[in-house]
Amino acid sequence: MMLLIVLDLALLCISLINTGILIVGLQGLLLGFFVIAIHANALSVRLMAIAIAGIAIKGFLFPVLLRRAIREAGILREIKPFVGPGLSLVSGILMLAVALWIKSKLPLGGIIDAPITVPASFMTIFTGLFLVIARKKALTQCMGYIVFENGIYAFGIAAAGDIPLLVELGLLLDAFVAVFVMGIAIYRINQEFDHIDATELSSLKG
Amino acid sequence: MDNTHTLLLLSLLLAPLVAGVLIIFVRSIRAIFITMAAGIMAGSIFGMIAVIKTCKYGTISAISSWLYVDALSSFTLAIMLIVYILSTTFAYVYFKKEFLVGNLSLKQARQFAALWCGSFFSMTLVLVSNNLGIMWVGIEATTLLTAFLICIHSSKQSLEAMWKYLIICSVGVAFAFLGTLLAAASSRNVSGLEINQALLWTKLMVHAEMLNPALIKAAFIFLVAGYGTKAGLAPMHNWLPDAHSQAPAPVSALFSGFMLNAALYCIMRYIPVVEAATGRSGWSLTLMSALGIFSIGIGAAFIIFQNDVKRLLAYCSVEHIGIISLGLGLGGIGFFAAMFHTLNHSICKSVSFFAAGRLGQISGTHDLRKLNGAPKMSRLWGTALFLCILALIGIAPFAIFMSEFQILKAAVDSHSFVRLVLFLAGISVVFIGMLSKAIPLMWGTASESTKVKNDSESTEKRDISLPATPDIKLDKSTFLEICLVIVPLSALLILGCWMPDFLGSSMTKAADIIGKVTTMPHK
Repeated sequence: MMLLIVLDLALLCISLINTGILIVGLQGLLLGFFVIAIHANALSVRLMAIAIAGIAIKGFLFPVLLRRAIREAGILREIKPFVGPGLSLVSGILMLAVALWIKSKLPLGGIIDAPITVPASFMTIFTGLFLVIARKKALTQCMGYIVFENGIYAFGIAAAGDIPLLVELGLLLDAFVAVFVMGIAIYRINQEFDHIDATELSSLKG
Repeated sequence: MDNTHTLLLLSLLLAPLVAGVLIIFVRSIRAIFITMAAGIMAGSIFGMIAVIKTCKYGTISAISSWLYVDALSSFTLAIMLIVYILSTTFAYVYFKKEFLVGNLSLKQARQFAALWCGSFFSMTLVLVSNNLGIMWVGIEATTLLTAFLICIHSSKQSLEAMWKYLIICSVGVAFAFLGTLLAAASSRNVSGLEINQALLWTKLMVHAEMLNPALIKAAFIFLVAGYGTKAGLAPMHNWLPDAHSQAPAPVSALFSGFMLNAALYCIMRYIPVVEAATGRSGWSLTLMSALGIFSIGIGAAFIIFQNDVKRLLAYCSVEHIGIISLGLGLGGIGFFAAMFHTLNHSICKSVSFFAAGRLGQISGTHDLRKLNGAPKMSRLWGTALFLCILALIGIAPFAIFMSEFQILKAAVDSHSFVRLVLFLAGISVVFIGMLSKAIPLMWGTASESTKVKNDSESTEKRDISLPATPDIKLDKSTFLEICLVIVPLSALLILGCWMPDFLGSSMTKAADIIGKVTTMPHK
């Protein structure tokens, strides 16, 4: 779980999209193994199914989809953020502080055993949100959404590990379709605009 | 008994889904629209049966109560069916004209029809599922399925609107999932509630008083932020005017007429649970009315400066969603008024978007300044738009006046005079702002439009989806179009003067699920 926080911080200060995709994929893998680790003493078929589906979708499918989007859009490698890496990192540390504060406010004792889980998942959620807001490209915004989704997933397996399989699969499927739809959207935006810079998407105001 | 219910609810869900899949393989535009109409029709018939059965038995449930319809969901389902039947009929009219001017390809028609049926499925899923997780899946599916409906006519503006909608709503709705998880977590350590049932709304209601109050409060904040984004509550409404103005008119009508309500319905489901868990302190209601007032204010502020008719209507939706949540927040008769207002707003806003869309097709613009004297372009749709605006701002004989009046009454009953004043101020601004646009729309002369020509050249680009040259031949209103205006508007007129008993009682029952309505307002 500490590793999740480190990956979040790394995501905030990298400047190459490919590295970003790698980290997003790594996070997905980590979360899949986390499902197995946290329920190691009571591993059921259901949990295994969720872990494997999670690893497959978040760890492999998402990076593949993102890479394909890069290839088809033929975009530049740099991220070109609104907020530079240094400032992003500072915001990251602030977000960690907020995550710890939220953890102290929520009476989750007795529900979640691992004390670091809640701040780590909230940290990931905030990082995702930050990436959606502070990055220019449609593709990096999409990455931000995946990180955001990862954070919620992390919180989900920790706080409500026993929600029905159908719901979990629904969530995974939705996340998958969302990324897929975003991929098509990026492709179409790219065709129409010759770029995927979301700052240029600004003719609709008021 | 249970078997027939299972069959009924499953066919309600599956009919539009099957039609949606079939459409992918159909090879002519005509056949596509027939398949779509058949799918929606079948779904509507099953839906009607479900609504009638719910009126008769109180609640129906199936598949070990994973599917569940009670008074609240059947009332919302009825609104959904009305909006879908109206907009599907209108979609036929609208796209027929598009097709005639060569603005609709087979691919576009297929994309529209398949996604249209898909969205019917996902919205039904929201309404009939008892499991709050599945309800969330339904809402998220609506976002994904409707995103491409916005850019049927691919242009820079519509793609921009679609991207904003996709990103803002996906992230927003993901917050709602966090809320759902917290709600599930709040039910841990509650005796008599098995963990795998924790997300079933009926079970949660039974044990609501034993839920962890701090966690359920945190959950509700996330849920309101999440579903509120989708419902268009300010300050999370930014996607709404863009999406509504860029989507083709039938899609805007569906968005405004029902999709916002579907998201609000999800919040309504949680209100009684949160209220019971927090000892009926009115905490969640205060939150709802604060957001409601804020939305009314934002809507009012932007309405004054709008020149694009579809954006005007979109901000008007923000205002009306605000009024509905204010009604929810006031409690008592306010719950009933919120139900009534939902019905009125859905009907009226659908027709408004129909009119705006057709006028756009006829005149080639959505700029209000160029639409001056709209009845001269199309007597039917110009007058319809004018009447709709009158109804929307709450002119007396229309039903929206009655529901707004009931909300005022709720505010007086609960002695919340600050909210009363803010509400009145908000709707007065909207009243003046919209009326000052509606009067030239009805009686203005088209010559005024030359004056603003230079100024509006930038907005010209927005209407890429519209035919470049106004086609006078389009101006013949068919019988179907006349029905699309007369039937809903006269329904609103009748509802304003007289409420049928069955409707009054079913709305009271629906409102009772959210919270006790103290008096019988429709008597």
